[in-house]
Order: sequence, then C-alpha cells, then structure tokens
Amino acid sequence: MWTQLCQLLFPINTLGANWNKPPTIDSLTAKPPLTAQVSLPSSVQRLDDSAITEVRVDMADMKVESRPVTLVTNVGSCVAICIHDPINKCGGLAHIMLPSSKITQHSYLPSKYADTAVPALTSAIRRAEKSNCGLTAKIAGGANMFPKLNSSTLNIGMKNVEAVKEALANKGIKLVAEDVRGTYGRRVAFNIADGSVCVKNGNGEIKKI
Amino acid sequence: MTESITQNKDTNNSIDLEIFLELGSIGAGNAATSLSEIFQEQISIQVPKIHTLPPHLVPKFYEKHDVPTTAIYMQLTGEADCDILLMFEVKEAKKIAAMMTMIPVEELDPEMEASAIEELGNIVIGSFLTALSDFTNVNLLPTPPQRTTDSFDAILDSFLIKQLLDSDMAIIFDTYFKRSDGNISGILMLFPSRKLQSVLTEKAKNWV
Repeated sequence: MWTQLCQLLFPINTLGANWNKPPTIDSLTAKPPLTAQVSLPSSVQRLDDSAITEVRVDMADMKVESRPVTLVTNVGSCVAICIHDPINKCGGLAHIMLPSSKITQHSYLPSKYADTAVPALTSAIRRAEKSNCGLTAKIAGGANMFPKLNSSTLNIGMKNVEAVKEALANKGIKLVAEDVRGTYGRRVAFNIADGSVCVKNGNGEIKKI
Repeated sequence: MTESITQNKDTNNSIDLEIFLELGSIGAGNAATSLSEIFQEQISIQVPKIHTLPPHLVPKFYEKHDVPTTAIYMQLTGEADCDILLMFEVKEAKKIAAMMTMIPVEELDPEMEASAIEELGNIVIGSFLTALSDFTNVNLLPTPPQRTTDSFDAILDSFLIKQLLDSDMAIIFDTYFKRSDGNISGILMLFPSRKLQSVLTEKAKNWV
C-alpha cells in the first residue's frame, strides 16, 4: 500500500514497479518508462515534503527522486547504490542482489543485478533532469552475514561490491564514498537534497558518508 | 504449448505445497512435544500459513524492514541442501528465553538468553529435520545452529540471494508458538534447494 501511495504521489518513480510486466533489459535501458519531464510547482513540492520524507526502496527495486526526500533501504549482502546529481539535486537508489545478470535465467528486473542496475539507474537520473553533468556514487552493503559458515554462495556480498565498482567504472561514474563488507546489516538513508548517505549499522553505530 | 507448460508448473507447485504443509504439521508436532517437555507445560505450535514467493518479494511481504530480529540459522547438507531459518523479534526472543530459563526478563543476562535461543532453534529445527529425513529417506546433515541479531531485511537477504541462485521460489512457514498465557510468534522459513524440491515432488506422486 505504501508503494502504491508513493507511486500516486511520485509519478516519477514508476521504474521499479514493473513486477508483473517483465521488460527486457534492452528495452529498459533504451527507453526507461519514466515520465521524466514532470516538474511540479514549488508550492506542491513543499506540501509533499511535509507529507512524505522517507521513501522505501524494496529489494531488487530502484527509485529516482528529484524532490528533497530520503530514500531508505536495508541491506545485508545486497548492495545499495546511491547515485547523485549534485547540480540538479536529484538522484536514485538501487538495491541490487546479485553481481551479474548472466548467472541466472530469471533476469527480468534490471535493478536486481549490479551490471544492469547501474546503467538503468544512470539513464533514469539523466532522463529525470536531462542532465549531463558528472554523477557521483556512494555504495553501502555487501556484508557477510554468517561468517562462520564456509559457504562460498553466502559470501556473495564481496562479489556484489566488486561488480558494482566495475559497473560504475564502465559508466564513468565517480565512486566518492563507500561503507562495505563487515558482518552486519546496514540501514541506508540517501538524502537527495545534499547527496549525503546515512548508514546505520546493525550494532547501532551511525556513519555519514 | 506454452499454456500446457504453465499448467504443469502450477500442478507441480500445488503438490509441493500440500506435501510441505504435511511435513510442516509433522515437524511442528515433534517440536511441540519436545518444547512441552522443556517448559513442563502444554505448548502448541501451529503451522497456520504456508507461502511460496519469489525471493526478492519476501521482505515486502513481511513489511518488517527495520524490526530488530534474532535469527537462528541451520544449513542442511548431504544428499540435498536446505536452509532453515527461525526468526523472532528481539523482544519476543527475550520473552522466550525468560520462559525457558524461568528467569524474569529484566534479570536475564545476554549469554543466558543466547544459549536458550540457540537451544530452542536446535529443538524446533531438529524436529523439522527429523520429519524431513523420515519423509524423504534422504540423509541430511545439519550444521551447528548460528545465531544473529540484526534488522529483519539484512538477515534475510543473504538467504534470498542464495535461493535466487538456485530456484525462483521460496517456501515459507509461519509458525506460532502458543503457551497458556498468550502467543509468542516466530517465523520459520525453509529454503529447499531445487534438488530437495524435486525429491519431495517425486515423493508426493507416490504418496497420493
């Protein structure tokens, strides 16, 4: 219900909502289903701010915002990719689960994989503000939640982080800060207005990156 | 052609669910018996719900994103793999530990709580394991239980990732631990590997 409400209030955020209509990666990167040119009068914007300040990004989902809200997600082995446009004050957050879309056959959500999420998120941000200026990225997550188990599949966090860095480098996006690895979960809050990312660790420690 | 394939899938899924529900009832029955012995009073465990979901939709389904959670995790290896995860909200876990140790919640020290919860995990998960291997005749070896406390989503996501690599469905039990003076609820999740799923489906065919 929350997501539906958000979608009503923020028509820009339609990208992550395509659960039922699996789009191919090509169609998504070429033509993201964003109604990007929507820009509300400043009065409406202020009204929205008081109503909603935190927008949750679900697992394998991504959201792009041009309003000064905070995008929130929880990650363990997943990685939260926060890409910010400092000049137009917009940005987006993608919650990826796996390093590469090649390793599974169920690849209909681009925001599920590091290699497809970065291009999709970048083009969505560029469309939202028609900006060509330098984007900056901050990442958090990639933990190994159960270090005592010597299972290679459970240590996918490390692979996720490496894949995200590679994808960012391929797109020419500068990685300015990171809070990765470890053995605890993180609550990531990405402030669109100033591009700051507030990471709260599982043990209660709060870090601003 | 495509339609018949989809239908086939559906029937397979419904068989899986039935058999899992049966397994769940047996496992829950075993667990209830051992718990009643420990607490020296009637404890009933129900398996009221069973869900199959695509793994990435599980956090959205529970809506417990930031809730501090204590989880006990056991991995079954051997002929087929299965991950079993038992989760309680932190304050519920405290209540359970207090019940088990007969010490009031305020006086409970963390080590005592941890070992009580691990023991509970052993009992509940062990009961399910017995049911599972009796039923399938598959030899399953459990790892020692692991305990962790973190936010609900963070705990879950490693398992969901692992599940995604293997299968596109997660099978989840919601269990409720019932004691005479009120409910304590926990979630028991089973993530059977594709191999175990097919073993069970095969069993179900002979069984019906």
